[in-house]
Amino acid sequence: MSELLSNIAECIEFGKINKVAPFPPQMKGQDGADELTRQALDEGISAQRILTEGLMVGMEKVGIKFRENKVFVPQVLMSAKAMSTAMIHLKPFFLSGEVKEKGTFIIGTVEGDLHDIGKNLVSMMVEGNGWKVVDLGTDVKAEQFVSAIKEHQNAFVGLSALLTTTMVSMEKITKAIKEAIPEAKVAVGGAPVTDDFRKKIGADVYSPDPQGLVEYLNAQVA
Amino acid sequence: MKGLELIKKAFALQPVERVPWVPFVGVHGGFLTGTDAETYLKSSGEIVKGISKAVEEYNPDGIPVVFDLQVEAEVLDCKLRWSESGPPAVVSHPLAEGKKRSDLKIPGAGDGRIPVCLEATKILREKYPDIALYGLITGPFTLALHLLGTDIFMKLFEAPEEVNEVMEFCTQVGQKMAEYYMDAGCDVIAVVDPMTSQIDPVTFENFVTPFVSRIFEDIRIKGKLSSFFVCGHAQQNIEAMCNCRPDNVSIDENIPLDFVKEITLEKGISFGGNLKLTVVLLMGSADDCREHTLECLDLGGKTGFILAPGCDLPRETPLKNLKAVTALIHDPYQQDVVRTLEKKESTLEIFNMKDYGQAEKVIVDIITLDSESCAPCQYMVEAVKRVAPHFDGVVEWREHAIKKMEAVSFMSSLMVKNIPTICIDGKIAFVSQIPPEKELVAAIQKRINEKLKLKIRSKRSEFILLGEEESQCRELQERAMRALTELGKDVEIKVVAGREKLASYGVTQTPAAVAVSYKIKSEGSLPSVEVIREWLKEL
Repeated sequence: MSELLSNIAECIEFGKINKVAPFPPQMKGQDGADELTRQALDEGISAQRILTEGLMVGMEKVGIKFRENKVFVPQVLMSAKAMSTAMIHLKPFFLSGEVKEKGTFIIGTVEGDLHDIGKNLVSMMVEGNGWKVVDLGTDVKAEQFVSAIKEHQNAFVGLSALLTTTMVSMEKITKAIKEAIPEAKVAVGGAPVTDDFRKKIGADVYSPDPQGLVEYLNAQVA
Repeated sequence: MKGLELIKKAFALQPVERVPWVPFVGVHGGFLTGTDAETYLKSSGEIVKGISKAVEEYNPDGIPVVFDLQVEAEVLDCKLRWSESGPPAVVSHPLAEGKKRSDLKIPGAGDGRIPVCLEATKILREKYPDIALYGLITGPFTLALHLLGTDIFMKLFEAPEEVNEVMEFCTQVGQKMAEYYMDAGCDVIAVVDPMTSQIDPVTFENFVTPFVSRIFEDIRIKGKLSSFFVCGHAQQNIEAMCNCRPDNVSIDENIPLDFVKEITLEKGISFGGNLKLTVVLLMGSADDCREHTLECLDLGGKTGFILAPGCDLPRETPLKNLKAVTALIHDPYQQDVVRTLEKKESTLEIFNMKDYGQAEKVIVDIITLDSESCAPCQYMVEAVKRVAPHFDGVVEWREHAIKKMEAVSFMSSLMVKNIPTICIDGKIAFVSQIPPEKELVAAIQKRINEKLKLKIRSKRSEFILLGEEESQCRELQERAMRALTELGKDVEIKVVAGREKLASYGVTQTPAAVAVSYKIKSEGSLPSVEVIREWLKEL
């Protein structure tokens, strides 16, 4: 039983989606996240356990490997794809309330910026760690962030930017959020962002990689 | 030597006297001429104006004509969203939205904005024959990402043949673009492929190397130079990039310059970078820029290194910041100054100088790097040296070469920021410029007059007559009064009588006369030891 969970974790870690998926070559022909999650549910393992002892374990391993430059964007996207395939089976249990989410994380790429790779990576990692993610997309204005936070009480919010030119927008949005909801916790990230910049604009947390954000979020609700 | 020749030398890994400087001016050119990014990137006239202004302000050895990685994508049916302050962004990915690879055609020289870029190249070529013109083309992987969207990352594993097919097409586009730019007069073709920073070396070797190498080969055959630009965390791929055989690899602040230097030079390839775009160039002060530029120059060295920003300059990068970089790179002496100050500032002791310059003599301090090795310093010292004897011992001068720690403290204590500087009695008088003799004399004379005025005002004297009894001094007192009248002086005459008081004046025989002059040296403040030492020297 626990072997099944660790196999699921492995599928997530290496991005094995289903049996027919050619990637990764060393797992060719084996069951993927899709089949194994189904099997686990059929064997009566709770959705909560599949999430925390299978999927989250795999996602965390990818997060750490990504932080350590052992894997790169393509591999993480494969893991995320395996993850979301498994999540389809778990969705009903989320909806019924049987699986508890740790909290809500609102994310978006800031106004003027259309890049979404970084934002998507973060949102998958956070989701893969048992959080509900509200993805506002790209080119998101301050008002959209503010109304999303008002809608989802106690949600954390993440701002993403890739361009140096849109870092200015990040500052504007952070200030608008803090003004409207002073207790809101704002995380910032993206290629040009640094912790110095985070301090300058008054945001609460910066992480150079998604795993760092996940650790921060988990610590807030622990 | 400057410009193209210098760049060629650096590309050939020959030692250069000065590191070549290539500011990556993109839409920043429009900022210099007051034009928004969209208007700028759509008009060859605006580009020529912007680059000409950049050439005038930044005195570059090489410069890109256009920095916009969306030119090819636009021709290939990617929709763009324009912005006022930055290059446009690709918002649609035709191959992910139903188009087929076979629907796409290699862009012709007359398609989209390509003629704008080529026209600007031709005009700038004619205008600046000695500056290396960089033609920037979108690297095949980045172009493939524009066409396929982020799906490309998963397709690397799930549909590698499809990725290869798109890469083949994008490579042909790159080869064509390189050809257009070379024919229009570019000296260097830069293949800009930032998205490769997102993949690992094995994926790079499988999906990028076989393609991009062909573009570099074409450039080599044409006898032009090539550069491989990457930005972002691409440290893992530097070696693989070198193996594609470009002539140069240029990186941004995400990769340490010395790391790239080591790998590229070993492979016989030159390298460039990596001035920090945001925290220093965009948001820092001119001083930050100088310090950081020097750091890059010292790390890069004078063989095979080209100083450049990490990537496209943010549009609003302050002119003064880039001018500070420009001035520093052209002035080895300023580099020495920044280098010396940078090292020593942290352990500085600041003297209390508020009473400095109260001594009888006028003190002229010259703050230099070292008059032996720095020409402007030498001239400044000589100017003072020539003038000082005119004042016949009233003026004393000293050189403070900041190669010594105390001199750095002294310099900071006097709030001197530039070198060389002349201070007269602790006040900054001449900065950087060597003053003409007349001006220097006038400035010193002015200070002498000031001091004289002060002296007249502050002098109080007594003439003390000493005797065992008052009557013993009577004759002496009359003579002293007579002398005072004849001199027209205002001195108080005081008679002190009594044997017991004589000793405190050091007098043994009477009658005696002692002249005492008082002078205010300081009032309501606590002078420093250095200052008191100066006063004591007068006694």
